[in-house]
Amino acid sequence: MYHQSVKLIEALEVLRAAPQDGAAPWKCFLASSFTPLHLQTFLAAELQKRHARQPVQIETGSFGDLAASLESVSAEGLEGLCVAMEWPDLDARLGLRRAGGDGLSATEDVIAESGRALDRLGARIETLAARLPVAVCLPTLPLSPLLPSPGWQAGRLELALRTALATFAERVAAAGARVVSSERLAELSPAAERLDSRSDLVSGFPYSRPHAWHVGALLVQTLLPPSPRKGLITDLDGTLWHGILGEDGVAGVAWDLDHNAQAHGLYQQLLRGLSDSGALLAAASKNDPELVAEALAREDLVLPADRLSPVEASWGPKSAAVGRILAEWNVGSESVVFVDDSPMERAEVQAAYPDMTCLSFPEREDASLPSFLAHLRDLFAKPRVLEEDRLRRESLRANQALRAVRTESGEAPEAFLEQAQARVQLHFATDSSDPRALELVLKTNQFNLNGARPSEAAWHEALEGPGAFRLVVSYDDKYGRLGKIAVLAGRLEDRTLVLETFVLSCRAFSRRIEHRCLAALFERFDADALVLDFTPTPRNGPLRDFFAAFLGRPPEPRSRLARAEFFERCPRLFHQVEEA
Amino acid sequence: MADTETRLRRCFAAVFPDLDEAQIAEASLGSIAAWDSVATITLLSLVEEEFGVSFEPEDLARQTSFAKILADLEARDTA
Repeated sequence: MYHQSVKLIEALEVLRAAPQDGAAPWKCFLASSFTPLHLQTFLAAELQKRHARQPVQIETGSFGDLAASLESVSAEGLEGLCVAMEWPDLDARLGLRRAGGDGLSATEDVIAESGRALDRLGARIETLAARLPVAVCLPTLPLSPLLPSPGWQAGRLELALRTALATFAERVAAAGARVVSSERLAELSPAAERLDSRSDLVSGFPYSRPHAWHVGALLVQTLLPPSPRKGLITDLDGTLWHGILGEDGVAGVAWDLDHNAQAHGLYQQLLRGLSDSGALLAAASKNDPELVAEALAREDLVLPADRLSPVEASWGPKSAAVGRILAEWNVGSESVVFVDDSPMERAEVQAAYPDMTCLSFPEREDASLPSFLAHLRDLFAKPRVLEEDRLRRESLRANQALRAVRTESGEAPEAFLEQAQARVQLHFATDSSDPRALELVLKTNQFNLNGARPSEAAWHEALEGPGAFRLVVSYDDKYGRLGKIAVLAGRLEDRTLVLETFVLSCRAFSRRIEHRCLAALFERFDADALVLDFTPTPRNGPLRDFFAAFLGRPPEPRSRLARAEFFERCPRLFHQVEEA
Repeated sequence: MADTETRLRRCFAAVFPDLDEAQIAEASLGSIAAWDSVATITLLSLVEEEFGVSFEPEDLARQTSFAKILADLEARDTA
């Protein structure tokens, strides 16, 4: 089943509705050796949908030579680069617009030429990918009908070209460029309907209109991937396993082929992978808690039971169980996916949390299982998995220990913090090579100075200004590692620090890390005061409260915090501090 | 469904957003600065999508005004 594409007129109308109020344009470079025509229109429209408050501007290079076009790109002022490759970029003889000479009969020469072309393209893309987000779409059109081998057999030339292309794709991906999935494109755009040979010969634009839209949309999705969800809450009966615990018993529930329940085993496998890459998992089930504990102790579970935290088993409403899980995780419902086979339970949870993604677990014989699993995977997709993603589950356990210790011992936070053996590492960044810093800025809501979401390109540029600084903070204590959990950035003007960015992961609250961060800045730069580039947002109350304690009133844009004022009111800090 | 002229006006408005209703009716290759070769291809692609027709390469040189395109469409009885 191929997906319907957007019509050209719809794309033009999106562009027509773009803001005309003088806002600075969001600039993207589209590199292709063919006339970009409708691809440019669709790309611009898809980008415009993501940037409703700025007009999108697409820049293009010289046509006919992709490498020269890429060599003309200056990263300055650009927010992204999209590269649409086609076979003639490897060797012009592979296209329909070139005839004469030995053509593709000169197989070895075409292979050698293609290798040289891919080398040149790869080198340029590597350089650009270090400066700004780059999305690359490998050739999408059918190979030339002039290839010497018959169409049903992959001949020497085709095999060599595909191998060279795969090596090229690995190379640019290793450098940070994001490569559009050829498999996803094949799902959306049938191979036989991609080429418009008449358009190619008349105007130099080789794509059919539907194919142009699919390529444009996928380039945008690859360049600007959606934010991944943070957590998944799963039902148990009929979802994590086949069967009903209360009726079938602990030994009667199943998740394997032998019991015709493989869908549940695959689901568990997927959840395990999501957990490995940092997603939070929990269970909400209307069940007897003791039976659930017994079932989760089964050693043949594909998903180890300790990945589910917390497990809410009770006879109360599902929405109440979901509420307790969200509180435990300290994440917003919009970042969470809920999976349940019962339409009634889904409806009840959806009514309580309208912005939560509620998904139905497919019936056993349902052919939609692969697309359900793929959809789930995509909801949690990250361009890359960082060390902090793997630490998230560990830090959740550390937070539980922290709460438990406080409750059981009755100790005041002061005494608790003193014995926690906390260690803070300060990394004063000199470049933007650490992807974790920007990720934290983009995904932190509660302890966030202003809610600003800089683009990758703007984040790179910010560190190049006069007096610019960027501090990334890591934390660990005897309860576990939290990894990199805070970012502060801004500039030093004389002896005043202008703080433009200050985010702290919600996993790291209640440890006085935010106090340590400011103390570190004052001391490192010997600054007299801090000026806050503060903006209130609907969710940055925790940050507001933090600064209000020093200022004696809620912060305002450009609030000024004097060094003496800060240290006078700063509570005792117990961290051991190291500078990396 | 809207008549042929109204639908064609929508196509012109999408490609030439600065034109008002009266200017669209009078629009021609020579009178509109933004009407270049790319605009011609974009416009005729829109018309193909909207009316389910197909233009031949030689049509590119003939479809040079709103009036000519409208006449062509009405001759094809696509209304």
